[in-house]
Amino acid sequence: MLKMLKRGLPIAVLLLFISTSMNLFADPKAKRKTASESSGAASSDSYMGLTGEQLWSNNCLRCHNIRPGTMYGNAQWDVIVHHMRLRANITGQEQRAIVEFLKSAK
Amino acid sequence: MKRIRHYCLAAIIQGALLTVTSLVAHAEDATTDGYVTRKEYEDLKSQMLAMKKELDALKKETAQKQGNAENQALVQSHKEVAPPESSQDQAVADTHKQVATEAPPPVVESEGSLLGTTKFLLAGWAEAMFEARNGNVSTFSASLNPLFLWELTPKILFDGRLEIEPSGGGTNVNLVNAQISYLLNDYVALGVGEFFSPSNVFVERFEPQWINKLPDRPIGVYHGVLPNISVGAQVRGGFPIGPTRVDYALYVANGPTLNTFSARTAGTLDFNSYTDNNDDKAIGGRVGFLPIPGVEVGYGFETSKPGFQGTTFADLRALVQSVDLEITRNSDLLKGRISLFSQYAWSKVDHAVYDPDGSLGFGPLPLTAKRDGGYAEIAYRPTQLDIDLLRNLELIFRWDHLSGDPSGLGDSSETRWTLGLNYWLSPSTVIKAAYEWDKPNGERNRNALFFQTAMGF
Repeated sequence: MLKMLKRGLPIAVLLLFISTSMNLFADPKAKRKTASESSGAASSDSYMGLTGEQLWSNNCLRCHNIRPGTMYGNAQWDVIVHHMRLRANITGQEQRAIVEFLKSAK
Repeated sequence: MKRIRHYCLAAIIQGALLTVTSLVAHAEDATTDGYVTRKEYEDLKSQMLAMKKELDALKKETAQKQGNAENQALVQSHKEVAPPESSQDQAVADTHKQVATEAPPPVVESEGSLLGTTKFLLAGWAEAMFEARNGNVSTFSASLNPLFLWELTPKILFDGRLEIEPSGGGTNVNLVNAQISYLLNDYVALGVGEFFSPSNVFVERFEPQWINKLPDRPIGVYHGVLPNISVGAQVRGGFPIGPTRVDYALYVANGPTLNTFSARTAGTLDFNSYTDNNDDKAIGGRVGFLPIPGVEVGYGFETSKPGFQGTTFADLRALVQSVDLEITRNSDLLKGRISLFSQYAWSKVDHAVYDPDGSLGFGPLPLTAKRDGGYAEIAYRPTQLDIDLLRNLELIFRWDHLSGDPSGLGDSSETRWTLGLNYWLSPSTVIKAAYEWDKPNGERNRNALFFQTAMGF
Protein backbone atom coordinates (compact mmCIF):
# COMPACT_ATOMS: atom_id res chain seq x y z
CA MET A 1 0.00 0.00 0.00
CA LEU A 2 2.79 2.35 1.02
CA LYS A 3 4.77 1.50 -2.10
CA MET A 4 1.75 2.19 -4.28
CA LEU A 5 1.35 5.59 -2.61
CA LYS A 6 5.04 6.29 -3.07
CA ARG A 7 4.79 5.57 -6.78
CA GLY A 8 1.49 7.35 -7.16
CA LEU A 9 2.43 10.60 -5.46
CA PRO A 10 4.80 11.97 -8.12
CA ILE A 11 2.23 11.10 -10.78
CA ALA A 12 -0.52 12.82 -8.80
CA VAL A 13 1.64 15.90 -8.35
CA LEU A 14 2.42 15.98 -12.06
CA LEU A 15 -1.25 15.59 -13.00
CA LEU A 16 -2.23 18.34 -10.62
CA PHE A 17 0.34 20.67 -12.10
CA ILE A 18 -0.76 19.92 -15.66
CA SER A 19 -4.43 20.32 -14.86
CA THR A 20 -3.70 23.59 -13.10
CA SER A 21 -1.73 24.83 -16.03
CA MET A 22 -4.69 23.97 -18.25
CA ASN A 23 -6.79 26.19 -16.03
CA LEU A 24 -8.97 23.47 -14.60
CA PHE A 25 -8.86 25.41 -11.36
CA ALA A 26 -9.48 28.70 -13.10
CA ASP A 27 -9.73 31.48 -10.62
CA PRO A 28 -12.94 33.34 -11.46
CA LYS A 29 -11.82 36.44 -9.58
CA ALA A 30 -8.40 36.75 -11.11
CA LYS A 31 -9.50 38.20 -14.41
CA ARG A 32 -6.50 39.46 -16.24
CA LYS A 33 -7.21 42.66 -18.09
CA THR A 34 -5.76 43.25 -21.49
CA ALA A 35 -3.35 46.09 -22.11
CA SER A 36 -6.01 48.01 -24.02
CA GLU A 37 -8.43 47.71 -21.11
CA SER A 38 -5.91 49.01 -18.66
CA SER A 39 -4.30 51.63 -20.85
CA GLY A 40 -6.54 54.34 -19.50
CA ALA A 41 -5.78 53.54 -15.90
CA ALA A 42 -3.08 55.93 -14.81
CA SER A 43 -3.65 55.30 -11.10
CA SER A 44 -0.85 53.75 -9.07
CA ASP A 45 -3.40 51.20 -7.84
CA SER A 46 -2.85 49.02 -10.88
CA TYR A 47 0.05 47.14 -12.37
CA MET A 48 0.41 44.85 -15.36
CA GLY A 49 -3.31 45.21 -15.97
CA LEU A 50 -4.13 43.97 -12.46
CA THR A 51 -5.79 46.13 -9.82
CA GLY A 52 -4.40 46.53 -6.32
CA GLU A 53 -7.10 44.17 -5.08
CA GLN A 54 -6.08 41.48 -7.57
CA LEU A 55 -2.39 41.92 -6.76
CA TRP A 56 -3.20 41.73 -3.04
CA SER A 57 -5.18 38.54 -3.54
CA ASN A 58 -2.71 36.90 -5.96
CA ASN A 59 0.44 37.64 -4.02
CA CYS A 60 -0.71 37.21 -0.42
CA LEU A 61 -2.71 34.05 -1.07
CA ARG A 62 0.38 32.37 -2.52
CA CYS A 63 1.52 31.70 1.04
CA HIS A 64 -1.23 32.50 3.55
CA ASN A 65 -4.80 33.65 4.11
CA ILE A 66 -5.38 37.24 3.12
CA ARG A 67 -6.06 39.75 5.85
CA PRO A 68 -8.60 42.53 5.28
CA GLY A 69 -7.59 46.18 4.95
CA THR A 70 -9.47 47.03 8.14
CA MET A 71 -7.21 44.78 10.22
CA TYR A 72 -4.34 47.29 10.36
CA GLY A 73 -3.89 51.05 10.23
CA ASN A 74 -2.42 52.88 7.24
CA ALA A 75 1.06 53.22 8.76
CA GLN A 76 1.01 49.54 9.74
CA TRP A 77 0.12 48.48 6.21
CA ASP A 78 3.07 50.54 4.93
CA VAL A 79 5.43 48.51 7.12
CA ILE A 80 3.79 45.13 6.51
CA VAL A 81 3.75 45.41 2.72
CA HIS A 82 7.32 46.74 2.73
CA HIS A 83 8.34 43.63 4.67
CA MET A 84 6.32 41.35 2.39
CA ARG A 85 7.86 42.95 -0.69
CA LEU A 86 11.25 41.73 0.51
CA ARG A 87 9.96 38.29 1.43
CA ALA A 88 7.84 37.61 -1.66
CA ASN A 89 10.00 39.52 -4.18
CA ILE A 90 7.15 41.66 -5.48
CA THR A 91 8.03 44.79 -7.44
CA GLY A 92 7.84 48.37 -6.20
CA GLN A 93 4.79 49.07 -8.39
CA GLU A 94 3.00 46.05 -6.97
CA GLN A 95 3.86 47.17 -3.44
CA ARG A 96 2.39 50.64 -4.02
CA ALA A 97 -0.74 49.29 -5.71
CA ILE A 98 -1.39 46.83 -2.87
CA VAL A 99 -0.84 49.45 -0.17
CA GLU A 100 -3.14 51.88 -1.97
CA PHE A 101 -5.83 49.21 -2.21
CA LEU A 102 -5.52 48.20 1.45
CA LYS A 103 -5.76 51.78 2.60
CA SER A 104 -8.76 52.55 0.36
CA ALA A 105 -10.48 49.33 1.46
CA LYS A 106 -11.15 50.83 4.85
CA MET B 1 -62.12 138.78 12.04
CA LYS B 2 -63.49 135.98 14.21
CA ARG B 3 -62.22 133.52 11.64
CA ILE B 4 -58.76 135.12 11.75
CA ARG B 5 -58.77 134.77 15.53
CA HIS B 6 -59.65 131.06 15.20
CA TYR B 7 -56.77 130.55 12.76
CA CYS B 8 -54.38 132.36 15.10
CA LEU B 9 -55.56 130.18 18.01
CA ALA B 10 -55.09 127.01 15.98
CA ALA B 11 -51.60 128.14 14.94
CA ILE B 12 -50.69 128.89 18.54
CA ILE B 13 -51.98 125.48 19.69
CA GLN B 14 -50.09 123.71 16.92
CA GLY B 15 -46.96 125.68 17.70
CA ALA B 16 -47.33 124.79 21.38
CA LEU B 17 -47.82 121.13 20.57
CA LEU B 18 -44.79 121.15 18.28
CA THR B 19 -42.75 122.84 20.94
CA VAL B 20 -43.86 120.32 23.59
CA THR B 21 -43.24 117.41 21.23
CA SER B 22 -39.84 118.76 20.34
CA LEU B 23 -39.05 119.28 23.99
CA VAL B 24 -40.17 115.76 24.89
CA ALA B 25 -38.14 114.38 22.04
CA HIS B 26 -35.17 116.38 23.10
CA ALA B 27 -35.74 115.31 26.67
CA GLU B 28 -35.70 111.62 25.60
CA ASP B 29 -32.42 112.14 23.69
CA ALA B 30 -30.98 113.84 26.65
CA THR B 31 -31.87 110.96 28.98
CA THR B 32 -30.09 108.30 26.74
CA ASP B 33 -26.71 109.80 27.52
CA GLY B 34 -24.74 107.51 25.01
CA TYR B 35 -26.99 104.41 25.25
CA VAL B 36 -28.72 102.97 22.17
CA THR B 37 -32.41 102.91 21.91
CA ARG B 38 -34.41 99.71 21.75
CA LYS B 39 -35.08 100.45 18.13
CA GLU B 40 -31.41 100.93 17.35
CA TYR B 41 -30.62 97.76 19.24
CA GLU B 42 -33.20 95.86 17.26
CA ASP B 43 -31.86 97.31 14.01
CA LEU B 44 -28.28 96.38 14.85
CA LYS B 45 -29.35 92.90 15.88
CA SER B 46 -31.17 92.30 12.65
CA GLN B 47 -28.17 93.59 10.69
CA MET B 48 -25.81 91.30 12.58
CA LEU B 49 -28.05 88.29 12.02
CA ALA B 50 -28.22 89.10 8.35
CA MET B 51 -24.42 89.34 8.15
CA LYS B 52 -24.01 86.06 10.04
CA LYS B 53 -26.41 84.43 7.63
CA GLU B 54 -24.41 85.73 4.69
CA LEU B 55 -21.13 84.56 6.25
CA ASP B 56 -22.51 81.05 6.86
CA ALA B 57 -23.74 80.91 3.29
CA LEU B 58 -20.32 81.98 2.02
CA LYS B 59 -18.55 79.40 4.22
CA LYS B 60 -20.88 76.66 3.03
CA GLU B 61 -20.33 77.61 -0.59
CA THR B 62 -16.52 77.60 -0.23
CA ALA B 63 -16.46 74.24 1.58
CA GLN B 64 -18.77 72.71 -1.00
CA LYS B 65 -16.57 73.90 -3.84
CA GLN B 66 -13.44 72.47 -2.16
CA GLY B 67 -15.15 69.18 -1.24
CA ASN B 68 -16.50 68.77 -4.73
CA ALA B 69 -13.05 69.21 -6.22
CA GLU B 70 -11.58 66.55 -3.92
CA ASN B 71 -14.48 64.20 -4.35
CA GLN B 72 -14.28 64.59 -8.09
CA ALA B 73 -10.63 63.51 -7.88
CA LEU B 74 -11.59 60.58 -5.61
CA VAL B 75 -14.38 59.48 -7.89
CA GLN B 76 -12.07 59.79 -10.88
CA SER B 77 -9.47 57.71 -9.02
CA HIS B 78 -12.09 55.05 -8.22
CA LYS B 79 -13.06 55.01 -11.87
CA GLU B 80 -9.47 54.56 -12.94
CA VAL B 81 -8.72 51.85 -10.38
CA ALA B 82 -11.71 49.71 -11.11
CA PRO B 83 -13.59 50.63 -14.24
CA PRO B 84 -17.13 49.32 -13.83
CA GLU B 85 -17.59 46.08 -15.73
CA SER B 86 -21.29 45.50 -15.16
CA SER B 87 -24.46 47.25 -14.14
CA GLN B 88 -23.81 46.12 -10.59
CA ASP B 89 -20.33 47.64 -10.70
CA GLN B 90 -21.85 50.80 -12.14
CA ALA B 91 -24.28 50.89 -9.23
CA VAL B 92 -21.40 50.51 -6.78
CA ALA B 93 -19.49 53.27 -8.56
CA ASP B 94 -22.58 55.49 -8.39
CA THR B 95 -22.89 54.78 -4.68
CA HIS B 96 -19.23 55.69 -4.27
CA LYS B 97 -19.90 58.90 -6.15
CA GLN B 98 -22.96 59.71 -4.06
CA VAL B 99 -21.20 58.96 -0.79
CA ALA B 100 -18.15 60.91 -1.88
CA THR B 101 -20.26 63.93 -2.85
CA GLU B 102 -22.23 63.90 0.38
CA ALA B 103 -19.26 63.21 2.58
CA PRO B 104 -17.80 66.09 4.58
CA PRO B 105 -14.37 67.31 3.51
CA PRO B 106 -11.69 64.94 4.88
CA VAL B 107 -9.83 65.88 8.01
CA VAL B 108 -6.10 66.29 7.38
CA GLU B 109 -4.28 63.32 8.93
CA SER B 110 -2.00 64.63 11.64
CA GLU B 111 -0.76 61.13 12.55
CA GLY B 112 2.60 61.61 10.85
CA SER B 113 3.43 64.87 12.56
CA LEU B 114 2.37 63.53 15.96
CA LEU B 115 4.24 60.24 15.84
CA GLY B 116 7.25 61.19 13.74
CA THR B 117 8.24 59.83 10.37
CA THR B 118 9.50 56.37 11.36
CA LYS B 119 7.05 53.50 11.53
CA PHE B 120 7.33 50.64 14.00
CA LEU B 121 5.25 47.49 14.11
CA LEU B 122 5.40 44.56 16.50
CA ALA B 123 4.13 41.59 14.54
CA GLY B 124 4.86 37.85 14.76
CA TRP B 125 3.07 34.79 15.96
CA ALA B 126 2.46 32.55 18.94
CA GLU B 127 1.61 28.86 19.21
CA ALA B 128 0.76 26.18 21.73
CA MET B 129 0.97 22.47 20.91
CA PHE B 130 0.32 19.03 22.33
CA GLU B 131 2.32 16.15 20.83
CA ALA B 132 2.01 12.45 21.63
CA ARG B 133 4.66 10.51 19.71
CA ASN B 134 5.15 6.77 19.95
CA GLY B 135 8.32 6.06 21.93
CA ASN B 136 8.41 9.52 23.53
CA VAL B 137 6.54 10.99 26.45
CA SER B 138 3.65 13.17 25.39
CA THR B 139 4.17 16.87 26.01
CA PHE B 140 2.74 20.32 25.73
CA SER B 141 4.88 23.08 24.28
CA ALA B 142 4.48 26.77 23.51
CA SER B 143 6.40 29.57 21.88
CA LEU B 144 6.20 33.29 21.25
CA ASN B 145 7.85 34.63 18.12
CA PRO B 146 7.82 38.44 18.12
CA LEU B 147 8.76 40.11 14.86
CA PHE B 148 10.08 43.65 15.13
CA LEU B 149 9.59 45.72 11.99
CA TRP B 150 11.00 49.23 11.88
CA GLU B 151 10.62 51.32 8.74
CA LEU B 152 13.02 54.26 9.11
CA THR B 153 12.19 55.61 5.68
CA PRO B 154 10.07 54.15 2.86
CA LYS B 155 13.31 52.58 1.57
CA ILE B 156 14.96 51.35 4.78
CA LEU B 157 13.52 48.56 6.91
CA PHE B 158 14.85 46.60 9.86
CA ASP B 159 13.25 43.24 10.55
CA GLY B 160 14.25 41.05 13.45
CA ARG B 161 12.57 38.05 15.05
CA LEU B 162 13.02 36.29 18.35
CA GLU B 163 11.92 32.82 19.35
CA ILE B 164 11.00 32.56 23.01
CA GLU B 165 9.99 29.19 24.43
CA PRO B 166 9.92 27.41 27.77
CA SER B 167 12.58 24.72 28.09
CA GLY B 168 13.44 22.61 31.12
CA GLY B 169 13.36 24.88 34.12
CA GLY B 170 13.84 28.10 32.18
CA THR B 171 13.12 29.95 28.98
CA ASN B 172 15.07 29.82 25.74
CA VAL B 173 15.45 33.03 23.79
CA ASN B 174 16.92 32.75 20.29
CA LEU B 175 17.58 35.40 17.71
CA VAL B 176 16.02 33.99 14.56
CA ASN B 177 16.90 36.80 12.19
CA ALA B 178 18.02 40.43 12.19
CA GLN B 179 18.33 42.21 8.87
CA ILE B 180 18.65 45.75 7.57
CA SER B 181 17.37 46.15 4.04
CA TYR B 182 17.37 48.96 1.51
CA LEU B 183 15.13 49.29 -1.54
CA LEU B 184 17.44 50.35 -4.36
CA ASN B 185 14.66 50.70 -6.94
CA ASP B 186 11.42 48.99 -7.92
CA TYR B 187 13.20 45.78 -8.86
CA VAL B 188 16.24 45.53 -6.55
CA ALA B 189 16.50 45.32 -2.77
CA LEU B 190 19.65 44.90 -0.71
CA GLY B 191 19.89 43.25 2.70
CA VAL B 192 22.59 42.57 5.27
CA GLY B 193 22.51 40.67 8.54
CA GLU B 194 20.97 37.39 9.55
CA PHE B 195 18.20 36.36 7.19
CA PHE B 196 16.10 33.39 6.14
CA SER B 197 18.07 31.59 3.47
CA PRO B 198 16.62 32.52 0.05
CA SER B 199 17.69 29.13 -1.35
CA ASN B 200 15.08 27.49 0.89
CA VAL B 201 11.62 28.68 -0.04
CA PHE B 202 9.94 26.78 2.81
CA VAL B 203 11.69 28.69 5.60
CA GLU B 204 11.31 32.01 3.82
CA ARG B 205 7.58 31.72 3.28
CA PHE B 206 5.89 28.87 5.14
CA GLU B 207 7.80 28.44 8.38
CA PRO B 208 5.59 30.55 10.74
CA GLN B 209 3.15 28.22 12.40
CA TRP B 210 0.09 30.23 11.46
CA ILE B 211 1.16 29.83 7.80
CA ASN B 212 2.54 26.28 7.92
CA LYS B 213 -0.62 24.23 7.56
CA LEU B 214 0.51 21.28 9.69
CA PRO B 215 1.71 21.33 13.31
CA ASP B 216 5.24 20.15 12.49
CA ARG B 217 7.58 21.09 9.65
CA PRO B 218 8.74 18.85 6.84
CA ILE B 219 12.01 17.03 7.40
CA GLY B 220 14.37 17.29 4.47
CA VAL B 221 13.91 20.99 3.87
CA TYR B 222 13.66 22.07 7.50
CA HIS B 223 16.85 21.24 9.46
CA GLY B 224 17.73 18.69 6.81
CA VAL B 225 19.47 19.13 3.49
CA LEU B 226 19.04 22.91 3.07
CA PRO B 227 20.14 25.96 5.06
CA ASN B 228 17.51 27.76 7.10
CA ILE B 229 19.27 30.88 8.27
CA SER B 230 22.21 32.64 6.64
CA VAL B 231 24.45 35.41 7.96
CA GLY B 232 25.71 37.64 5.17
CA ALA B 233 24.39 39.95 2.47
CA GLN B 234 21.78 39.51 -0.23
CA VAL B 235 20.33 41.19 -3.28
CA ARG B 236 16.80 40.31 -4.35
CA GLY B 237 13.71 41.44 -6.17
CA GLY B 238 11.28 40.67 -8.95
CA PHE B 239 10.50 41.94 -12.42
CA PRO B 240 7.85 41.31 -15.06
CA ILE B 241 8.47 39.57 -18.37
CA GLY B 242 5.39 40.17 -20.47
CA PRO B 243 2.41 38.87 -18.53
CA THR B 244 4.64 36.62 -16.40
CA ARG B 245 7.00 37.46 -13.55
CA VAL B 246 10.41 36.36 -12.39
CA ASP B 247 11.72 36.75 -8.86
CA TYR B 248 15.29 36.29 -7.78
CA ALA B 249 17.61 36.34 -4.76
CA LEU B 250 21.37 36.04 -4.64
CA TYR B 251 23.38 36.00 -1.43
CA VAL B 252 26.83 35.54 0.05
CA ALA B 253 27.03 34.12 3.57
CA ASN B 254 29.15 32.29 6.12
CA GLY B 255 27.86 28.93 4.95
CA PRO B 256 27.59 25.53 6.65
CA THR B 257 30.14 23.51 8.61
CA LEU B 258 31.17 19.99 7.62
CA ASN B 259 30.71 17.32 10.29
CA THR B 260 33.86 15.18 10.45
CA PHE B 261 34.19 14.00 14.04
CA SER B 262 31.51 11.29 14.23
CA ALA B 263 30.83 8.19 12.15
CA ARG B 264 27.09 8.84 12.34
CA THR B 265 27.23 12.35 10.92
CA ALA B 266 30.44 12.24 8.81
CA GLY B 267 29.90 14.16 5.57
CA THR B 268 26.72 15.89 6.67
CA LEU B 269 26.40 19.68 6.71
CA ASP B 270 25.65 21.62 9.87
CA PHE B 271 23.58 24.63 8.87
CA ASN B 272 23.07 25.80 12.45
CA SER B 273 26.61 27.07 12.88
CA TYR B 274 26.25 30.74 12.12
CA THR B 275 29.89 31.77 12.58
CA ASP B 276 32.27 30.88 9.76
CA ASN B 277 35.03 28.29 9.99
CA ASN B 278 37.09 29.50 7.01
CA ASP B 279 37.69 32.45 4.69
CA ASP B 280 35.56 30.98 1.91
CA LYS B 281 32.04 32.31 1.70
CA ALA B 282 28.98 30.43 0.57
CA ILE B 283 27.18 31.74 -2.49
CA GLY B 284 23.57 30.89 -3.04
CA GLY B 285 20.27 32.05 -4.40
CA ARG B 286 16.94 31.21 -5.91
CA VAL B 287 15.11 32.03 -9.11
CA GLY B 288 11.34 31.77 -9.25
CA PHE B 289 9.04 31.95 -12.26
CA LEU B 290 5.34 32.84 -12.08
CA PRO B 291 3.70 31.91 -15.40
CA ILE B 292 0.18 32.75 -14.15
CA PRO B 293 -1.09 34.25 -10.89
CA GLY B 294 -1.00 31.74 -8.06
CA VAL B 295 1.57 29.43 -9.66
CA GLU B 296 5.32 29.57 -9.04
CA VAL B 297 8.18 27.21 -9.82
CA GLY B 298 11.63 27.81 -8.37
CA TYR B 299 15.19 26.62 -8.25
CA GLY B 300 17.53 27.33 -5.34
CA PHE B 301 21.17 26.52 -4.71
CA GLU B 302 24.09 27.13 -2.38
CA THR B 303 27.73 26.31 -3.01
CA SER B 304 30.35 26.50 -0.25
CA LYS B 305 33.55 25.11 1.23
CA PRO B 306 32.32 23.75 4.56
CA GLY B 307 35.58 22.25 5.91
CA PHE B 308 37.55 23.87 8.73
CA GLN B 309 40.39 26.07 7.52
CA GLY B 310 43.80 24.37 7.77
CA THR B 311 42.41 20.83 7.73
CA THR B 312 42.41 18.24 4.92
CA PHE B 313 38.71 19.09 4.43
CA ALA B 314 39.34 22.76 3.71
CA ASP B 315 39.14 22.43 -0.08
CA LEU B 316 36.05 20.22 -0.23
CA ARG B 317 33.14 21.80 -2.00
CA ALA B 318 29.52 21.28 -1.07
CA LEU B 319 26.58 21.96 -3.35
CA VAL B 320 22.96 21.96 -2.23
CA GLN B 321 20.13 22.39 -4.72
CA SER B 322 16.38 22.62 -4.45
CA VAL B 323 13.39 22.73 -6.76
CA ASP B 324 9.98 23.89 -5.62
CA LEU B 325 6.45 24.30 -6.90
CA GLU B 326 3.68 26.35 -5.29
CA ILE B 327 0.13 26.48 -6.58
CA THR B 328 -2.78 28.26 -4.92
CA ARG B 329 -5.98 28.57 -6.91
CA ASN B 330 -9.63 29.25 -6.24
CA SER B 331 -11.89 26.84 -8.04
CA ASP B 332 -15.59 27.12 -8.82
CA LEU B 333 -15.51 23.45 -9.70
CA LEU B 334 -14.28 22.47 -6.26
CA LYS B 335 -16.17 25.25 -4.44
CA GLY B 336 -13.04 26.31 -2.66
CA ARG B 337 -9.35 26.89 -2.66
CA ILE B 338 -6.71 24.29 -3.33
CA SER B 339 -3.05 24.73 -2.40
CA LEU B 340 -0.13 22.59 -3.44
CA PHE B 341 3.30 23.21 -1.97
CA SER B 342 6.22 20.96 -2.80
CA GLN B 343 9.99 21.14 -2.60
CA TYR B 344 12.75 18.63 -3.12
CA ALA B 345 16.41 19.17 -2.24
CA TRP B 346 19.63 17.27 -2.58
CA SER B 347 23.18 17.88 -1.42
CA LYS B 348 26.61 16.60 -2.33
CA VAL B 349 29.99 17.03 -0.63
CA ASP B 350 33.17 16.16 -2.58
CA HIS B 351 34.84 12.84 -1.95
CA ALA B 352 36.94 12.72 1.24
CA VAL B 353 38.36 10.24 3.71
CA TYR B 354 37.00 10.83 7.20
CA ASP B 355 39.14 9.89 10.22
CA PRO B 356 42.00 8.93 7.89
CA ASP B 357 44.35 7.74 10.65
CA GLY B 358 41.67 6.04 12.72
CA SER B 359 42.31 8.28 15.70
CA LEU B 360 38.58 8.98 16.10
CA GLY B 361 37.81 5.28 16.14
CA PHE B 362 35.71 4.94 12.99
CA GLY B 363 38.12 5.52 10.07
CA PRO B 364 39.38 5.52 7.57
CA LEU B 365 35.96 6.17 6.04
CA PRO B 366 36.05 7.18 2.35
CA LEU B 367 32.86 8.93 1.37
CA THR B 368 31.17 11.10 -1.24
CA ALA B 369 28.40 12.44 0.97
CA LYS B 370 25.02 12.70 -0.73
CA ARG B 371 21.67 13.42 0.86
CA ASP B 372 18.23 14.28 -0.38
CA GLY B 373 14.84 15.11 1.01
CA GLY B 374 11.66 16.98 0.35
CA TYR B 375 7.93 17.21 0.77
CA ALA B 376 4.68 17.59 -1.09
CA GLU B 377 1.60 18.99 0.58
CA ILE B 378 -1.89 19.47 -0.72
CA ALA B 379 -4.64 21.35 1.09
CA TYR B 380 -8.27 22.06 0.34
CA ARG B 381 -10.56 24.61 1.96
CA PRO B 382 -14.19 24.97 0.83
CA THR B 383 -14.14 28.76 0.84
CA GLN B 384 -17.17 29.10 -1.45
CA LEU B 385 -19.62 27.21 0.74
CA ASP B 386 -22.27 29.17 2.63
CA ILE B 387 -21.95 27.32 5.93
CA ASP B 388 -19.37 29.01 8.18
CA LEU B 389 -18.46 25.79 9.96
CA LEU B 390 -17.50 24.09 6.71
CA ARG B 391 -15.97 27.16 5.10
CA ASN B 392 -13.48 27.49 7.95
CA LEU B 393 -12.28 23.90 7.72
CA GLU B 394 -9.17 22.93 5.80
CA LEU B 395 -8.03 19.42 5.00
CA ILE B 396 -4.30 18.81 4.51
CA PHE B 397 -2.23 15.88 3.39
CA ARG B 398 1.58 15.84 3.32
CA TRP B 399 4.31 13.44 2.30
CA ASP B 400 7.82 14.19 3.42
CA HIS B 401 11.12 12.37 3.24
CA LEU B 402 14.76 12.58 4.29
CA SER B 403 17.43 10.15 3.17
CA GLY B 404 19.67 8.45 5.72
CA ASP B 405 23.00 9.79 6.86
CA PRO B 406 25.57 9.39 4.05
CA SER B 407 27.94 7.22 6.09
CA GLY B 408 25.24 4.59 6.51
CA LEU B 409 26.11 4.51 10.20
CA GLY B 410 23.76 7.22 11.46
CA ASP B 411 20.06 7.89 11.10
CA SER B 412 18.30 5.80 8.51
CA SER B 413 16.04 7.28 5.88
CA GLU B 414 12.67 8.51 7.05
CA THR B 415 9.41 8.90 5.20
CA ARG B 416 6.30 10.33 6.82
CA TRP B 417 2.66 10.71 5.83
CA THR B 418 0.58 13.27 7.66
CA LEU B 419 -3.14 13.95 7.58
CA GLY B 420 -4.41 17.14 9.16
CA LEU B 421 -7.63 19.03 9.74
CA ASN B 422 -7.59 22.74 10.52
CA TYR B 423 -10.28 25.12 11.71
CA TRP B 424 -9.69 28.82 11.00
CA LEU B 425 -11.00 31.13 13.72
CA SER B 426 -9.73 34.18 11.82
CA PRO B 427 -7.49 34.66 8.76
CA SER B 428 -4.44 34.23 10.99
CA THR B 429 -5.71 32.13 13.90
CA VAL B 430 -6.00 28.38 13.44
CA ILE B 431 -6.66 25.23 15.43
CA LYS B 432 -4.89 22.20 13.96
CA ALA B 433 -5.26 18.48 14.54
CA ALA B 434 -3.03 16.01 12.72
CA TYR B 435 -1.89 12.43 12.74
CA GLU B 436 1.50 11.46 11.36
CA TRP B 437 2.57 8.01 10.19
CA ASP B 438 6.32 7.89 10.68
CA LYS B 439 8.37 4.73 10.36
CA PRO B 440 12.10 5.18 9.81
CA ASN B 441 13.73 2.23 8.05
CA GLY B 442 14.68 -0.53 10.46
CA GLU B 443 13.16 1.19 13.47
CA ARG B 444 9.84 0.97 15.25
CA ASN B 445 7.21 3.46 14.26
CA ARG B 446 7.24 6.98 15.62
CA ASN B 447 3.65 7.81 14.76
CA ALA B 448 2.43 11.00 16.33
CA LEU B 449 -0.78 12.81 17.23
CA PHE B 450 -0.74 16.62 17.31
CA PHE B 451 -3.02 19.39 18.43
CA GLN B 452 -1.89 22.94 17.91
CA THR B 453 -3.23 26.47 18.06
CA ALA B 454 -1.34 29.20 16.25
CA MET B 455 -2.03 32.90 15.94
CA GLY B 456 -0.34 35.40 13.65
CA PHE B 457 -0.47 39.05 14.68
